[in-house]
Amino acid sequence: MELQLGLALPTPNMVKGFDLNNHGLDQLKEMGGLEAWNKAAGCFADKDCVKSKRSFEQAFGNFTEECRTKPLLLWSGQPNEEEDHQDQKKATFSTTDENDAEEDDQVVGWPPIKTWRKKIFQQQQQQQPRVGRAENNRLAENENGRSIHVKVKMEGVAITRKIDIKLYHSYQSLTNSLITMFAKDKKCDEDDYILTYQDKEGDWLIAGDIPW
Amino acid sequence: SSRRSSFPDEVLERVLSLLKSHRDRSSVSLVCKDWYNAERWSRTHVFIGNCYSVSPEIVARRFPKIRSVTLKGKPRFSDFNLVPENWGADIHAWLVVFAAKYPFLEELRLKRMAISDESLEFLAVSFPNFKALSLLSCDGFSTNGLAAIATHCKNLTELDIQENGIDDKGGSWLSCFPESFTSLEVLNFANLSSDINFDALERLVGRCKSMRVLKLNRSVSLEQLQRLLVNAPQLAELGTGSFSEELTFRQYVELESALSNCKNMHTLSGLWDAKGIYLPALYPVCTHLTFLNLSYAALRSDELAKLLAHCPRLKRLWVLDTVEDKGLEAVGLNCPLLEELRVFPADPFDEEIIHGVTEAGFVAVSFGCPGLHYVLYFCRQMTNAAVATIVQNCPDFTHFRLCIMNPGQPDYITNEPMDEAFGAVVKTCTKLQRLSVSGLLTDLTFEYIGRYAKNLETLSVAFAGSSDWGMQCVMGGCSKLRKLEIRDCPFGNAALLSGLEKYESMRSLWMSACNVTMNGCRLLAREMPRLNVEVMKEDGSDDSQADKVYVYRSIAGPRRDAPPSVLTL
Repeated sequence: MELQLGLALPTPNMVKGFDLNNHGLDQLKEMGGLEAWNKAAGCFADKDCVKSKRSFEQAFGNFTEECRTKPLLLWSGQPNEEEDHQDQKKATFSTTDENDAEEDDQVVGWPPIKTWRKKIFQQQQQQQPRVGRAENNRLAENENGRSIHVKVKMEGVAITRKIDIKLYHSYQSLTNSLITMFAKDKKCDEDDYILTYQDKEGDWLIAGDIPW
Repeated sequence: SSRRSSFPDEVLERVLSLLKSHRDRSSVSLVCKDWYNAERWSRTHVFIGNCYSVSPEIVARRFPKIRSVTLKGKPRFSDFNLVPENWGADIHAWLVVFAAKYPFLEELRLKRMAISDESLEFLAVSFPNFKALSLLSCDGFSTNGLAAIATHCKNLTELDIQENGIDDKGGSWLSCFPESFTSLEVLNFANLSSDINFDALERLVGRCKSMRVLKLNRSVSLEQLQRLLVNAPQLAELGTGSFSEELTFRQYVELESALSNCKNMHTLSGLWDAKGIYLPALYPVCTHLTFLNLSYAALRSDELAKLLAHCPRLKRLWVLDTVEDKGLEAVGLNCPLLEELRVFPADPFDEEIIHGVTEAGFVAVSFGCPGLHYVLYFCRQMTNAAVATIVQNCPDFTHFRLCIMNPGQPDYITNEPMDEAFGAVVKTCTKLQRLSVSGLLTDLTFEYIGRYAKNLETLSVAFAGSSDWGMQCVMGGCSKLRKLEIRDCPFGNAALLSGLEKYESMRSLWMSACNVTMNGCRLLAREMPRLNVEVMKEDGSDDSQADKVYVYRSIAGPRRDAPPSVLTL
């Protein structure tokens, strides 16, 4: 059975991977409850959320847009028994505890907006939530939480990238962004890549086994 | 050798003193030795685009009579945190030389320089005639430095503090202007966040009768703004403070009245947190406005449309993408004289935002504003067809900066690369001087640029290209290229070295997160001794990779103030 990680704040890229027919939702519930997942993913159906935020059902139920990219990660409950191991390359990342409060970019320095202007946006986000549109607390959350910078290296590519994973709310959005970032270095067929990370003990684990 | 009769030196100097453009002056200085000397004696303003291309001693030796200096320091990508903190571009060594050689210095305009409070204090006491200080995107100083300027510069006419990494320790610096001080014409402290002493400000504005530019910070309220305007109806440029607190009807009427008395006002900015209901107070001013900066006001499309209906003479407009395509349609409908448009994203890091502006907004503006020649446009989707239409409508672009915010994103309708979009830009806009590209781009984009963009001077590239060939096309084709900045592209040593002959005619090259190696850089440094080739290494990267490369011409040799993270090859 395949669990595809599309269960994040939805974008066109991610939701295509979410196949309700595949009992993905049931599996998720088994993993620790929709409630726990919702909280981890940033709160869809939680009553305490600002009411203009889209509800979980609304987000996934109404989604009809055509998606362009395929989901990056496909893995089953037994991650080592996938069909096509040979071709798989690894994108690995390790955490480094760099807490530069200035660098809250997903990709450092992108989009190219001056630091002082970003600060102004963040201040405005906190002080004046805009009425009448889907509320998005992402910037406010980042302002309160520390940035967590991690280095990402793709096998076969010399250059390491640095990103702030605090800006992502799901494995899927993270890997999508990483694929885009590395696409210029190597022809990336999305299916070939899996995301792994190094935990505190130094072990390399496949990303996605535990909730975001 | 015999000399034919020519202009006496004094006459030549007199004539040349009327030349203002530094490029013209550079051309003049190359004619012959006499003209070189006449030019250097008559030059009063020097522009140095890269502070490391020359030394202060060399400048002082050549130009004895300078009263005004413009200096630029760090590479532009430092604005986006790509340059280490302690990189350099410190002004102090320059000030020491200036204090000795130009004691009558009047103006200093700095961009991306590091400047400490000590330097500001030194400046304040070393130049008795000092008149104008402009700091743009600088860092390293605090409001204490500003206090020193306010205290000591008795003839100050301009204090312009913009977009800086300033340590804001409070607003008391403004109270340091003595009560006898009346010469200020330009005051811009919009960048600072802390409260200033409003009474001191009110008195200052009241006694500086020649003030024409006043840009307040957010701490100044609407009610306070009204009090200032009553005493300064002559203002030509106004940056309001916060535009959002609750006003009584009477206060609103008084504000509107004060604004309507500002008959000379042509530039309006600030409008922090602007509330739509108060915008009508601006209508009397809007009729004469040529520059409206709404980039701190998250306006909706209908709010913008109502405002623009009163701005028929607008030439420059900066907005947030909260106005959406509908707001931009209003731009096209109401502002036929528009020459410059900048659309900034209100939520740049949010992937899921489905608002903001699209290609439709840009197209709508292009239909209504044929005179558009400068655009900076942040969006999340674009098509080749839209850009082709845009440049067909507006063939006079000199500055085309398009930022499709998701790196490497194709034409969202055809799924093709955006090559044809930028191909259309360079083929149609023959006057193009500055170009920033984005989206999914192959080498074809750069073939087009090299072949058609013959007036291009500045090119910014990110997440684009397929191979060395792309950059080679640019280096080979763009004869007027002066500044090239590249990040995250598959350009390697062959590309870097293809510009070997070219870099001495350019101001600088920046390449980061490309495929350039240390060996490639060493080769460049060896072949071209008059270039400074600097490499900045990232922690944990391969030893052979040149993570960030900055190459620039210099007659001052390698710099001696580089921090350990910057290797000069």
